[in-house]
Amino acid sequence: MKPQIRSAALLLALSLGLAPAARAADDVVTVGACQPITGRFAFAGIAINAGLQDYLNLANEKQLVKGKKFNYVYEDSGYDVEKAVACFKQIMAKHSPVIMYGESTGLGKAIAPELNSRYKVLYASASFSSELADPKTHPYSFISGPTYSDMFGILLEYIARNKGAAKPKVAFFYSDTEFGKDPIPYAKKRAAELGIDVVAEIVTKAGAVDVTSEVLQLKKQNPDYVIFQGYILSPIIEVIRATKDFGLKTRFMGTFWSMDKGIIEKLGQDADGYMGVMPYAYFYEDAPGIAAMRAYNQKVRPDVKYQPNSYIQGWFTGMVYVEAVRRVVAAGKPVTGENLAAVLDTIKDWDTGGVTGKVTFVSHKAGVGRIYKANAAKGVFEPASDWIYSK
Amino acid sequence: MLIGNYKETYASDEALFRTPATRAWMGAAAVAAILFPFVAGDYVLYLANLMAVLALSAVGLNILVGFTGQISLGHAAFMGVGAYATAILASRFGLPFWISIPAGGALATGAGMIVGAPSLRIKGLYLAIATLSAQVIFEWVFTNWTSVTGGIRGLNVAPASIAGFRLDTDERIYFLVLGVTVVHFLLASNLRRSRWGRAFVAVRDRDVAAEIVGVNLFRTKILAFMVSSYYAGIAGGLWVYFTKVVTPETFPLSLSIQFLAIVIVGGLGSIKGTVYGTVFMTLVPEVLKAGTGLARVVWPAAQSYLFPLRDVVFGLLIVVFLIFEPHGLAEVWNRVKRFFSLWPFEK
Repeated sequence: MKPQIRSAALLLALSLGLAPAARAADDVVTVGACQPITGRFAFAGIAINAGLQDYLNLANEKQLVKGKKFNYVYEDSGYDVEKAVACFKQIMAKHSPVIMYGESTGLGKAIAPELNSRYKVLYASASFSSELADPKTHPYSFISGPTYSDMFGILLEYIARNKGAAKPKVAFFYSDTEFGKDPIPYAKKRAAELGIDVVAEIVTKAGAVDVTSEVLQLKKQNPDYVIFQGYILSPIIEVIRATKDFGLKTRFMGTFWSMDKGIIEKLGQDADGYMGVMPYAYFYEDAPGIAAMRAYNQKVRPDVKYQPNSYIQGWFTGMVYVEAVRRVVAAGKPVTGENLAAVLDTIKDWDTGGVTGKVTFVSHKAGVGRIYKANAAKGVFEPASDWIYSK
Repeated sequence: MLIGNYKETYASDEALFRTPATRAWMGAAAVAAILFPFVAGDYVLYLANLMAVLALSAVGLNILVGFTGQISLGHAAFMGVGAYATAILASRFGLPFWISIPAGGALATGAGMIVGAPSLRIKGLYLAIATLSAQVIFEWVFTNWTSVTGGIRGLNVAPASIAGFRLDTDERIYFLVLGVTVVHFLLASNLRRSRWGRAFVAVRDRDVAAEIVGVNLFRTKILAFMVSSYYAGIAGGLWVYFTKVVTPETFPLSLSIQFLAIVIVGGLGSIKGTVYGTVFMTLVPEVLKAGTGLARVVWPAAQSYLFPLRDVVFGLLIVVFLIFEPHGLAEVWNRVKRFFSLWPFEK
């Protein structure tokens, strides 16, 4: 019985894994990516993949780093940690990249021990988890934007700046997942510092639909603001509709994943007043960096009129990769994961052409974002503040 | 039927590998398994480790579902109990792996004993729901008992080490994973032939009849649950040293269902079937992935169609297997073997 399995495994080994690692030429910078092209995160994975790939192609076309060409290789990881780790190892073995992109917080944590001890490549991911933004435990990882904690900090800062005479009352409404719970301890601390009352913390299952009791609780506490975390659409839409029915004046806020244009389409007229924090500008805004993105899209896929915010997330990550490589090359050093990770925190007041605010990396993250407010009639988000930097 | 295979002593009658051919093949397999990490790359080794851990856990479920005819939708949770116990003992108390993994197994055994208790009263779908609640309860505990389990962020564990030799790469951990898995597979094969194993099968085939011939139903069912969750717990412990991190999201309901799928696709009540099932469920998606990767070279725009299509193909393959061979891959294998043992003299 077993020998056949072993020989099958060996055959597979030969066909899949043992292909000799392609030795990259000195002028090629290989960027590998495990993208959730299928699975429940596919809605974002496909766009992130396109954004990252597009920017690296643009960098090649425009020769953004003299004498270096970016070679992008990606695989589908299906938003499953085991498959993603396998994908990571497969790409490392086959292409030996110096930069990797990963699909989730889970992959970031699972690969960390080997990333730190063996692979030593620059690593970014679709995750905004504050856990990965710790240069001590994750020296090769960075967050391409603010962490969820930073996003909460920016929202609370906005609330504090726009408060009236009374102390603002805020409720946190989050899912009992890592995604939902990540920023809450920091948010509570920051709210206390800014003189904001956290009147309620409501925890639900991710994607919960029946929210009657939660809405009743909101009615009782009557907060000025409710901040959602750990959801994409459900139950944000249900909660906003139900509280409107009760006639509450509460303002609703979201973070990155619940700030795409799609939520306005789903909410219709109820979207007016919905607001939240975005680390990057939207595809339709007037900024040189965004205009360049639109021009590139016009060229490669003329029929596309809009790209979601996860596309811009991928694009911006590409910008950071290219900038890091540029800095390493400018310093006359070899492009290795160690050198790339070392230049990250030297990025200060970096002008991204309005793709986001001035970028300064501290602790391997860029804590910048802007408050946007939904305009239901036009079906877009419009800036409600300037770029805010988290403390 | 093999001829010339005489059993002249009790020892030869009790042997697990009965014919010289089987012994030779098993020896070759052992040599191949030992040489394997020296030729395989990281990616293949990772998959091998993953399959060994999953197979170990799945064989536990096969003892419960295939041998005893009970059902469990909480198998991943038992694996979680073992994993958390191992991780806590290793990271908080600094215990070595050869204490923490068995301790994890022991704790999972205890959990299995409690969860298995309702099996005396309820059967079939009702038992499935009762064990489903165990899955939900344990997942909730992993998430919310923050002071012990580290909450949603989970626990990080240092690599296992023996006398200063750290098992921190896929090659090194392979030998630990393989060793533990092989020993437990041999135990399971022997269990099946023991007094208890026969009691399990008796309960599965007709519980009333089993009770009449003197099998203590309650004790047998509870024991099946305990053995099953012991296997899951040990697999969970290995998992911890293999991935070095454990979070509540590692052991979801979908993993429990995957174990059931492994057991059913592989063959209910077949130990080697569990191996085939695990290999099938793990490698087929990877092979399909490699296939779509090749297609992408010729047709770059294919990804948006082919990537999602993979899951459809995988699902269809499972259905086709179940229709044409309800006894699972183990029976397919037996048929192939029978064909070749007579070949070229057919029928």
